[in-house]
Amino acid sequence: MDNYQTITEFTRYLKLMFDTSSKMRNVYLKGEISNLKIHPTGHIYFSLKDEGSKIGAMMFSSNARNLNFKPEEGMKVLVSGRVSIYEATGNYQIYVSTMEEDGLGNLYLEFEKLKKKLKEEGLFSEEHKKDIPKYPKKIGVVTASTGAAIKDIISTIKRRYPIANIYLYSSLVQGEGAKEDIVRNIKRADKDSMDVLIVGRGGGSIEDLWPFNEEVVAHAIYDAATPIISAVGHEIDFTIADFVADKRAATPTAAAEMAVPNISDVIDTINNYKIRLNESINKLSKIKRLELDKLKDSYILKNPLIMYDNKKQNLINLTEKITSLMNYNINNTRISIDHIIEKLELINPLMVLKRGYSVTYLNDNIVNSIKNIKKDDTLKIKLSDGVVSTKVIGKE
Amino acid sequence: MKFEEKIKTLETIISELESGNTSLDESINKYTKAMELVKECDKELKDVEEKISKIVLDNGKVEDFEAE
Repeated sequence: MDNYQTITEFTRYLKLMFDTSSKMRNVYLKGEISNLKIHPTGHIYFSLKDEGSKIGAMMFSSNARNLNFKPEEGMKVLVSGRVSIYEATGNYQIYVSTMEEDGLGNLYLEFEKLKKKLKEEGLFSEEHKKDIPKYPKKIGVVTASTGAAIKDIISTIKRRYPIANIYLYSSLVQGEGAKEDIVRNIKRADKDSMDVLIVGRGGGSIEDLWPFNEEVVAHAIYDAATPIISAVGHEIDFTIADFVADKRAATPTAAAEMAVPNISDVIDTINNYKIRLNESINKLSKIKRLELDKLKDSYILKNPLIMYDNKKQNLINLTEKITSLMNYNINNTRISIDHIIEKLELINPLMVLKRGYSVTYLNDNIVNSIKNIKKDDTLKIKLSDGVVSTKVIGKE
Repeated sequence: MKFEEKIKTLETIISELESGNTSLDESINKYTKAMELVKECDKELKDVEEKISKIVLDNGKVEDFEAE
């Protein structure tokens, strides 16, 4: 039984081990504040954590009084202090003597926070993004007048599209006053109605690029009527400005390439248009020519007399009809005349003679009674084919 | 007309002419107009006077700028 220790004894032993170790007396830690509680007495209780682990922390009010910032939940901090064990709970914790903000860590946090906020506000929305004009004439550049960025932009544009004008709005791009200056210059360029605006700078540390992560700059880009290409730093650096801008270029050179076309491509396009125009108008006139030829070859135009054929035929028909009608009438008439002639012939006295009768004349008067003649009168007897002279020799 | 609009107009006219649906009068007018646009665009592209980069000063003045 003598081998067994009480918990208190063992914890005291551990505490002694901690307290006598120089390593434990001078501990430097970086991490994020969580479970922050500020006691009315001024003592501060919190945890320090990172992705993998966690340690309890407390800061006495005597030390907390010297802080030059207000600790906040989630804040990245650098702390120094000693690590010891709190007997009552057996928990080890760090007794913080100094604490400062972890600049880089906080910038990163701020960046993520702002990115989330602006995204929710719709500043990154695709619908708001403006098209970059294809053939800009006035290209504004908001960047420092010295440095590689402006040099790269000018040389790229001169090489690709030398007919564009470049207007530099010289701006601070890092340090104190940079964000205000960038905002001011974006507004100036926007007022000067540039066709497109390149806003950016060359690569640098995250602190150097920081102005392009500022909310005011984001809003200035969002509010501008001019299409904006962001060009901050090198490939891997994404800034808030990149998310808000209408187009994001990885480098100033890339931004210049996005801003202007290659003039030789444009010349090719124009030449191509010329060819197509000529081809299409030639083709069109050929088609019209064919249509005309086809009309010219039409049967009716080639044989205009055919239009009269029908009428001619009608005329012939009518003529024939009339002629035949006339003939019919004439025939009818002839037949009736023949009848009349026949009838007339029937009553012709000469016809009677033909049948053997004769007419007797005395002194050219027709003798129709025997009383009119006497013996020895010379009579003329008319037969059908001649006249007989005769003498009366007696009456009966 | 802006260069962009000229190019766009050209594209429209060409596709109209290529469709073959335009009347002869209309197509000749369009062709003439398009050829004028081609000439203008061509001129704009080839008239490369040496463009000097400018710097817009705070007082609004514009001066030539040469990158160091």
